[in-house]
Amino acid sequence: MIHLTVHRILSQMTFEQALPRRLGRWLAAEPDWDQVYAEQLPRVLNFFRYRIGNTAEAEDLTARTFEKAWRARDQYRRDMAGFATWLMTIARNVALDHLRARRRLEPLEFAAAVVASDRNPEQQAVLQSNAERLGELLATLPSRERELIAMKYGADMTNRAIARATGLSESNVGTILHRAVESLRMNW
Amino acid sequence: MNKDQAWLYALRSEPSPQFKEELRAKLRALEPARSEVRREWPRRALMATAAMVLLALVVSVPGVRAQMAQFLSWFRVVRFVAVPVDASRVARLKAENLEIKTLIGEHVEVVRDPGPAVAVGSLDEAASAANMTLALPQWLPNGTQVLETVVAGEREVRITADGRRLQQVMDALGINDLAVPAGLDGNVVHVKVPPVVTIRYGHGERRSRLVQALSPEVALPGNIDLRALGEIGLRILGLSAEEAKQFAQRIDWHSTLLVPVPPNARSFREVTVGGHEGVLVQHQPRNGSPTYTVIWSTPERVFVLLSTESWDQVLAMADSVR
Repeated sequence: MIHLTVHRILSQMTFEQALPRRLGRWLAAEPDWDQVYAEQLPRVLNFFRYRIGNTAEAEDLTARTFEKAWRARDQYRRDMAGFATWLMTIARNVALDHLRARRRLEPLEFAAAVVASDRNPEQQAVLQSNAERLGELLATLPSRERELIAMKYGADMTNRAIARATGLSESNVGTILHRAVESLRMNW
Repeated sequence: MNKDQAWLYALRSEPSPQFKEELRAKLRALEPARSEVRREWPRRALMATAAMVLLALVVSVPGVRAQMAQFLSWFRVVRFVAVPVDASRVARLKAENLEIKTLIGEHVEVVRDPGPAVAVGSLDEAASAANMTLALPQWLPNGTQVLETVVAGEREVRITADGRRLQQVMDALGINDLAVPAGLDGNVVHVKVPPVVTIRYGHGERRSRLVQALSPEVALPGNIDLRALGEIGLRILGLSAEEAKQFAQRIDWHSTLLVPVPPNARSFREVTVGGHEGVLVQHQPRNGSPTYTVIWSTPERVFVLLSTESWDQVLAMADSVR
């Protein structure tokens, strides 16, 4: 009897040997860009809200990011998770360009747009107040800390994903975020 | 979301419908800048992907999912080779009443039937019922809760080979350059699957399911010509004679099973999950939310995570399973 257990397979095979033509054709199918858009738009927009603050600017920069990505989307037809990372790289660069061009950070004006319309007036007031306060505090953070906060709490990225995107170690990301959150918390 | 961090999310909100639509229209109006030179798919990713088990594709496809449920519960912990299915062949087999499920089902003897999976009250109870420690995601999307935990007991089956039916399938598909290996009839494959624990998570309308089990034991007679059988299997699934021959020669059939990949699965990619190779699969039902499946294995167990979360969230969940 031959007893089978789980093992790695095809370790001796080259790509050409391992990939039948049919599989290659299948790989070339088009991803669902509507779905990509629906999933990534809130992440990118919220990244800019945390990174930049101003809602109108955040929307403008989000649009700029998507336009850049859309023009070059063929490069990322299959590597969907890679596409998300790539999109965030574009967003970070767009933010940096914007911040360089802006001489100083402007007051935050996003609160009204942040508050969801399906909440009652009391909830809206609390949220608006929290958003304004958080926006003010974010503006006091050093650029790198603010960027990581934007990636973590705006774009909802994991520490590992942030580490991959920024080139920092995961533990370093954790440390910086912890320091930044503590700083925000102390002044909250 | 950690309650004491809720204030950190105060700036988050959904894009306004107007902005969403305006940007979408703007993007649609852009002339697609199709690059002439397609980026070569990373060699390593393709290698691993081609070699990995794409069980996930099967479970993510409506219609196939239910049909394959039993099959998956037996073989979930074994590495598979992904082979895209030729839809026309499936139709031809159906027309001849020769569906693969039927063929398997006719020759399966259940040695130990644990009955339906049982819901348990807690993760501790599940671990105790399955007689193993549970690996759990250390990160979940904000607000996610455990909705249900179920445990399926150990299953043991014997599958008896039937060369005559296999020949019928080959005849129906016009595969007449290959022969059923001599002496196949009556050989028995013995499969023992340890308990399987499924944890269902949810927040809002999003749902996730983490399935885990220890590695099964599979035994079969040593005189079966697995390579010949493998080549037949590849042909049945739709590979050309040349492709099947080349593929069959290079696969270690003692540690590999073929998994039919439905042609309507959307995409997949190689991922690293907790330091182990895995595959992320996307399927987009016509009238439903997209589903993502990650499948990966460690030396002692295999995991399958199915979710309607976004792919990066799904990957983050899988990556945090400890």
